[in-house]
Amino acid sequence: MKLLLAPALAVIALFAMALGCLFQYSVLEFIPGSLKTGGFTLANFRSVTAPQYLGVIWDTVWLAAATTLLTLVAAYPVAYALARTGSSRVRSTLLVLTLAPFFTGAIVRTYAWILVLGNAVITWPIPMLFTERGVLVGLVHFSMPTMILMLAAGISHIDPLYERAAASLGAKPARVFWRVTLPLSLPGIVSGSLIVFAWTLSAYPTPALLGGGKVQMIATVVKDRGLDSFNWPGAAAFALLALAMTIALLAGVARAGARAA
Amino acid sequence: MLMRLIVLMLLALLVAAPAAEAQTALVVSAWGGNWKDSLEKVVAKSFTAKTGIPVEFEVGGTIDRLAKARVAKGNPLVDVTFTTSHVGRLYISDGLIQPLDMSRLPNAKDLAKEAIRSEYHIGVWAYVYTVVYRPDLVKDDITKWSDLWKPSLKGKIAMPDFDPSHIITIAALMEGGNETTWEKGQKKLMELKPQIAAFFATDAQSQDLMKTGQAPVQVMLSVNAYHLIDQGIAVKLVQPTDYPGVVGIDTMTVMTGTRKADAAYQFINMALARDIQAELVKSLKASPTVIGTPVPANLAGQPGIFVAPAQWKEKGYIINDEVRAKNLPAWREWFTSNIVKK
Amino acid sequence: MLKASVVALMAFMTLPTVVVMVVSFNPTAILSFPPSGFSWRWYVNALTYPQFQRAAVNSLWVTLGAVALALPIGTAAALALERGRLRLPTLWATLLLSPLVVPGVAAGLGFLILAASLGMIRSRAVLIAAHVALVLPFVVRSVWVSARNLDATLERAAASLGATPWRTFRRVTLPLLRPGLFAALLFAVVVSVNEFVVSLFISNRLTEILPVAMYSYVVNYTDPTIAAMSTLFITATFLVIWLADRYVGLGRVFLHHR
Repeated sequence: MKLLLAPALAVIALFAMALGCLFQYSVLEFIPGSLKTGGFTLANFRSVTAPQYLGVIWDTVWLAAATTLLTLVAAYPVAYALARTGSSRVRSTLLVLTLAPFFTGAIVRTYAWILVLGNAVITWPIPMLFTERGVLVGLVHFSMPTMILMLAAGISHIDPLYERAAASLGAKPARVFWRVTLPLSLPGIVSGSLIVFAWTLSAYPTPALLGGGKVQMIATVVKDRGLDSFNWPGAAAFALLALAMTIALLAGVARAGARAA
Repeated sequence: MLMRLIVLMLLALLVAAPAAEAQTALVVSAWGGNWKDSLEKVVAKSFTAKTGIPVEFEVGGTIDRLAKARVAKGNPLVDVTFTTSHVGRLYISDGLIQPLDMSRLPNAKDLAKEAIRSEYHIGVWAYVYTVVYRPDLVKDDITKWSDLWKPSLKGKIAMPDFDPSHIITIAALMEGGNETTWEKGQKKLMELKPQIAAFFATDAQSQDLMKTGQAPVQVMLSVNAYHLIDQGIAVKLVQPTDYPGVVGIDTMTVMTGTRKADAAYQFINMALARDIQAELVKSLKASPTVIGTPVPANLAGQPGIFVAPAQWKEKGYIINDEVRAKNLPAWREWFTSNIVKK
Repeated sequence: MLKASVVALMAFMTLPTVVVMVVSFNPTAILSFPPSGFSWRWYVNALTYPQFQRAAVNSLWVTLGAVALALPIGTAAALALERGRLRLPTLWATLLLSPLVVPGVAAGLGFLILAASLGMIRSRAVLIAAHVALVLPFVVRSVWVSARNLDATLERAAASLGATPWRTFRRVTLPLLRPGLFAALLFAVVVSVNEFVVSLFISNRLTEILPVAMYSYVVNYTDPTIAAMSTLFITATFLVIWLADRYVGLGRVFLHHR
């Protein structure tokens, strides 16, 4: 039986090797202009804490938080409708419309926003393309399907009896929502927010294409240093930072969730 | 049934994986968009017609392609590389390109000496970086570089973020320095910061910014500006009256370790033929590098379209290649930290 | 109130799609709204662009390879997790799902360095291996859910009637796992076909898959060819999703039914 696990573990081992290379390179010295590396050094990590890069990290965290919050607010009504609707037609329509963008891939969706934000189709009063707010819109749109699905899964677990009971006791719909539905849907909210936040931290195509070089996030720095400047050690240090943040985030909230349970 | 399907798929995989890299095509590395289109239409088509060898293009930005070339060192994925004159020096110092055997380039006899940038790379066309703007979106005419600092242009300018050489040099010139003493221009550059709306990483982005009007004033390559005009966007190129436009020379090189050196030389030679040069001038609206290339009257004298290479120094500013190549990393670093970063 | 906000939000979700489809028929490279005409030229351009054709073929092989490997590997792992009476089931589960946690740029750079150190930078094998690793968590998760709901008595019944373990697996277990397997297949294909960031790092012009080729195009050209490509993609996706919902009922895959 345990043998069945072996091939999967081999794949994971390969993945771990790739991460291992990342660790290895992050502590090697970068020799500008070549692929060769020097000896052991912590300079790469020190450069990560340079003010310009700290700024990038802060911007990324802030953008991820804003995206998560906005996505949560926007996704909740749709998720509620999806989970609670009696009509299978409505459910199918909502599901198809929700899933379809999810399945068309990052480039297609980001390109679509280049068109919408770019004044060619709609003239915006303030510049949207190549700005932070443009990137925010793109990120929210990108995260909506995930959040909707996770929230809907969570809401569908709530027994409608609770809501009906509260209503029969005289609570108005708004009150039912705030005091019954919302708290009970918390697991869905937490898992959805977690995933959206973690993914947004490492987002690449959206800030790269919609940000026009002005909006730097951790992932764009890794790509710039890794593929363009050719600074593999420097890029590795940054990539590991993104990884550490993601893990810390997930571990932290998992622990909070366990304590709450 | 399912089992058989899986086995079939795995077998197909094993067969497909070392897949056909038996490429007989000549692979040319160049910039995309209108650059590749012109090369394809003017040079590649004639080349394939004459030699029967198909041509494939690997497109990307200057530095992107340099990075890719470094990864593939010794076993190159491309045979001929088009790159800017100063980045050519980076290719040389990395051992990525081979010295050119001029005996295999008979058409080079008419190549202007200004176009022979080194033993390893020779110029194919030239242009200028200058100020380009949309008169319909900018009230006052722009006639000189220093106009970029005018308060009325606040938040309206865009420039490349991958190579700040031009604006750094111009700022230095304004403060009595030049590309070697570029620090003199740093304060002036800081003053330019609030004027800048966006940076573009690619030609395509620059065109988008101009098309949408988000950055109606740009430090742009003359060829790209003419391309915008061709597409129906009315922009105006400035012949600045205070300091000249910064000349850019694009060069051709042969990669070290290429297995198609013969075809590579033939391709380069073809691009130096007078009739091909004349076509390139018309197609790109650039300056020729071969002496005696006819330049149509309606194009001659326009910004970036010099009739002869001798004019480059007279009417434009040529940044010293070696200084530029050496300073580029420092320039990029300083520019990114101080100007690009908000 | 709820209805209005849902309609508005769904409009927001589908607005970009609509814009892309409209733009794809624009006759010129300069976009205008309302469009000045109607033209198929960008579709012709997209379908005849050699790099897209090559990338589409690459996508086919890479996804086929990744799915062909990930499905059996992931199913085996899911069964092991559910039935194997492992000592530290959560540890193994976390390990198997771990690629989900790693940022794409980190995995991409890591695989690039690994490929370079093995001298395999140009190989399609590394690309496929990376896709298998990225797709595996989805497969494992989907099949595991099904495996958990599997009633072991049915398999024991088959065994007691004399069926060999392999026969039981093929005739009883696999069919019962069908919903999970279907979801796994769907996710695996979708994730692999659309995989962009990791593939950007480890593929080159000859091996690049469709999303990477499209990204290169967007970065180099400003004409609506990508709008045409996108519309083709979107149409294909809608069809697949609609069919999946019609025949399998996606609601069952994603929502809990009482």
